[in-house]
Amino acid sequence: MKKWFALMLCCCLLLSALSAFADVAGDIAAGEAMSHDELVEKAKAETGTFIVYGNTSRIETAAAAFSELYGIDFLSTNVKDQEIYTKLRNESGAEAADMVMIQDGAQLTDAIAEGLVMNFLPASVKGEVAEADQNPLVHQFINKLFIYNNLGDDAPAIKNVWELTDPAFKGRVIFKNPESEKVNMNFLVMLTSDKWSEKLAEAYKNWKGEDIDLGEYQNAGYKWIAEFLANCTFGKSDTTIAEEVSQETAAGKIGLFVLSKLRSSSVLTDNLTVAQYDATANGYAVEPFSGFMYPMYTMVNVKATRPYTAMLFIEYLMTQEGFEPWGKSIGAYSPIASIKVNEGDLTIDVWKDTLVVEDSAYILDAGVDVEDFILACLQ
Amino acid sequence: MEQTKKAGWARTRGRLRAWMSKPANIILLFFLIALTVLTLYPLLSLLSEMFIIHPGKEVRAARQDAGAFTTYHFTRLFATSANSYSSIQFYQPFLNTLAVSLTASVIAILFGGTVAFLITRTDIRYKKFVSAVFVFPYIMPSWTLALFWETFFKNVNIGLKTSNGIMASVFKVFMPEWFVYGYFPIALVLGLHYAPFAYILMGGILRNMDANLEEAATILKTSRARILWRITLPIVKPAMLSTFLLVFASSMSAYSVPVFLGSPVRYYVLSTKMKSLMDSYPGQAYIIVAVMILFGVAILLMNQKVTNSRKQFTTVTGKSGQISQIKLGRLNRPVALFLVVLLVLVAVVPLITFALESVIVKAGDYTPANMTLDFWIGTGLDKRLDQGDSTGILLNPKVWNALGYSLLLALTCALVAGTSGILVGYGVAKRRGSRLSSLVNSLSFFPYLMPSLAFGAIYLAMASHISWLSGFLLLGLVGSVKYLPFASRSGVNAMLQLSGEIEEAAVITGVPWWKRMLRVIFPIQKSSFLSGYLLPMVSCMRELSLFVLLVPSSNTILTTMLMQYSEKGWAQFGNAINLLIIVVVLLVNFTVNKLTGASIDKGVGG
Repeated sequence: MKKWFALMLCCCLLLSALSAFADVAGDIAAGEAMSHDELVEKAKAETGTFIVYGNTSRIETAAAAFSELYGIDFLSTNVKDQEIYTKLRNESGAEAADMVMIQDGAQLTDAIAEGLVMNFLPASVKGEVAEADQNPLVHQFINKLFIYNNLGDDAPAIKNVWELTDPAFKGRVIFKNPESEKVNMNFLVMLTSDKWSEKLAEAYKNWKGEDIDLGEYQNAGYKWIAEFLANCTFGKSDTTIAEEVSQETAAGKIGLFVLSKLRSSSVLTDNLTVAQYDATANGYAVEPFSGFMYPMYTMVNVKATRPYTAMLFIEYLMTQEGFEPWGKSIGAYSPIASIKVNEGDLTIDVWKDTLVVEDSAYILDAGVDVEDFILACLQ
Repeated sequence: MEQTKKAGWARTRGRLRAWMSKPANIILLFFLIALTVLTLYPLLSLLSEMFIIHPGKEVRAARQDAGAFTTYHFTRLFATSANSYSSIQFYQPFLNTLAVSLTASVIAILFGGTVAFLITRTDIRYKKFVSAVFVFPYIMPSWTLALFWETFFKNVNIGLKTSNGIMASVFKVFMPEWFVYGYFPIALVLGLHYAPFAYILMGGILRNMDANLEEAATILKTSRARILWRITLPIVKPAMLSTFLLVFASSMSAYSVPVFLGSPVRYYVLSTKMKSLMDSYPGQAYIIVAVMILFGVAILLMNQKVTNSRKQFTTVTGKSGQISQIKLGRLNRPVALFLVVLLVLVAVVPLITFALESVIVKAGDYTPANMTLDFWIGTGLDKRLDQGDSTGILLNPKVWNALGYSLLLALTCALVAGTSGILVGYGVAKRRGSRLSSLVNSLSFFPYLMPSLAFGAIYLAMASHISWLSGFLLLGLVGSVKYLPFASRSGVNAMLQLSGEIEEAAVITGVPWWKRMLRVIFPIQKSSFLSGYLLPMVSCMRELSLFVLLVPSSNTILTTMLMQYSEKGWAQFGNAINLLIIVVVLLVNFTVNKLTGASIDKGVGG
């Protein structure tokens, strides 16, 4: 009797979960065909507090402005990548998030396959965003760049990333531990791909004037990773790294960190030079890359209880106004061409040419061996 | 035949009634059921995670379907030699964890125990100051103490080699790397942070112990050292072991301190490995959690052997009198001064640093020109600083809301955990030696052995099946269960000291049970019991990883808000909120002190 009851209960739960899933999928399909006004009408008909999760802190500013514009109550929370998924898996009903903003495309691919989140492409941006950035929808690109302290005679104005593997750079390169933030790991994994290892091999030749001797390494990417990480020390956050590299006592140091951290008033910006800015201004290139770039995505929770508000918010985030919390400072790039970059910053096209851009497909393909190799380099 | 059956039934019923008539039995039964649901279930679900393929990376790495049964995680974590995987992910961090936790426990016991002894059993000067300030490091979130250590001692010769902390820039002292990063500072910071455990647990016993034992020895012309070694130490041994257990388990699962102080020199421990594995290979992360729990259980068993053995001392009897205080004589002033200086260094200087860091604009520049109170009481900050909130924390309703929520949560957890702790203590002590008693005793300690992060994750999963369990209720439940061990430890310790005769007198005159508890037992061991309320309260106020997955929003409670601010690099707001937490806890402590005469430190003496 009890067993039957339990079984029935399980079935009910499963069915209700499935039906919720189907509901949101249907809503999204309907929403993608809706005009802005129709979305607003549908969203206003939804009740309760609109909930957003994001691993960018500025989502709160955006949500507050959105809430004011449409008179919708909201709750935003800043949660890190993996924790967002843990919450999504376990929360349901009115307490569950309606939409999320998240980085690390490889993990997101898994989360979509698992059925945790779904993509929504607002009709308003369909023609504005490149096809490759539509599903999952990229809200912005973020770049981490080689930025160095420009004080003293020994400022590391690098022109080739192989310089950073030189024993003279031991302890002078500051990075965030790739184990603690996956986008950093993704960047290193990308370097083992054919495209980047070939570029690195070429850059090596240009630097040393001779062909690269791989020794035990599979390709130039592995060699660079090993020798680069051996010279690195790890800071605990990009903000700390930015602050530390900018100190007057930090002459000769170079960091690889988020460009947008230069907005922080605690960073002594005058003491810092962005390698790529200098290269562009003086007409040279940092071979073969001057940092890396990764997308931040917007997604609808399949268990959203306010799916139309979620869609309206995503639509809002893709407008000039919705992008403002990020767009007002350097280091964030909308995939929409009409949303211009900040004055003094370079355009997304320049960055796409000069940075290692995250490619989820390759990262998922590379498997555990590459990551194991990188972990071993961290010891 | 029929008759004997009936008689047998009646006998059983009679026995049952007799058994049920003892409040201790009912209490134990209740907690057995409640704790089984609340701690055993999470444990089992945690264990089952070790044998399951989780969606995502594990599917590809193990080439199995999501949800499939597997032993892959074990072979991967324990026996993968390629790229030295097992050594990097498990064995080396394991050894580091052991080293750090053991050292931290020893530091906590030596430091906390010595101070407790000096305060309760000697006529040392400045008692009030020492006992008040000693608990500060525990009130601060441990990672802020780690941050302090780094900002204070860092210099251009070590770590990131980018800037000088206060020690190097002001005093021109450049500390070596081993002192600032890695094994030593991690163990020291954890040891200092948890030293108040030793102080509270051992101090409570020392203060209440029967002086007759020592006096008898003194009359028999036993030397001071011998008395200390043969009488005082054995009496505090259970409390010492409890402390060891608490500090070891806490240090083992501490995450932020090793991250902050270990990362720059690539010193990894199990908890940091667990956290990063949890992101991509949860199966292996749960194995690490299980290893931590196993260690805890081993110490718990050891602890139990001591509590159950005949070497248990009843120290508070109906007759106890005054305890004699050792006169320190000529040594008094130097010892007292040394202690005061030490405490100022570890407990007051961090506070000053937090205050200083909350008023400077550019990091590392401590000149008045760089100072402002904007982060406390400013307005329109987003326009001027482009950083953080638009108002200083004291003008920000978000902060006040979070403070209210944190306080309410801490009070709730303290009330539930503290009261349960006393009851568990009563039940366990009354039925000492019975299987039920030791089972409940162990169960009530179990939540402590689970790393907070994993505990929070499991409760989140559990709550997903129960619709009414969310928000405040969920946070309160998790906090109460997680901090029950503090209360049950102090409850059991206090009750074990009580001789049966104290209650017997009241039993004979027919005083009902609840009245005996309220009028007889509680007043005698008030200080120990109150520490059973205050410890959960304080811990709750500064808890982060337990709640991080369960809060509706990162602005819900102060610590999640604080972490968010630190991560965003809004150091000034972060430091201000940190100070706010500490000040609030001190105020609560002060109020409790005024109202009841007891406090965290008063629980000991002073």
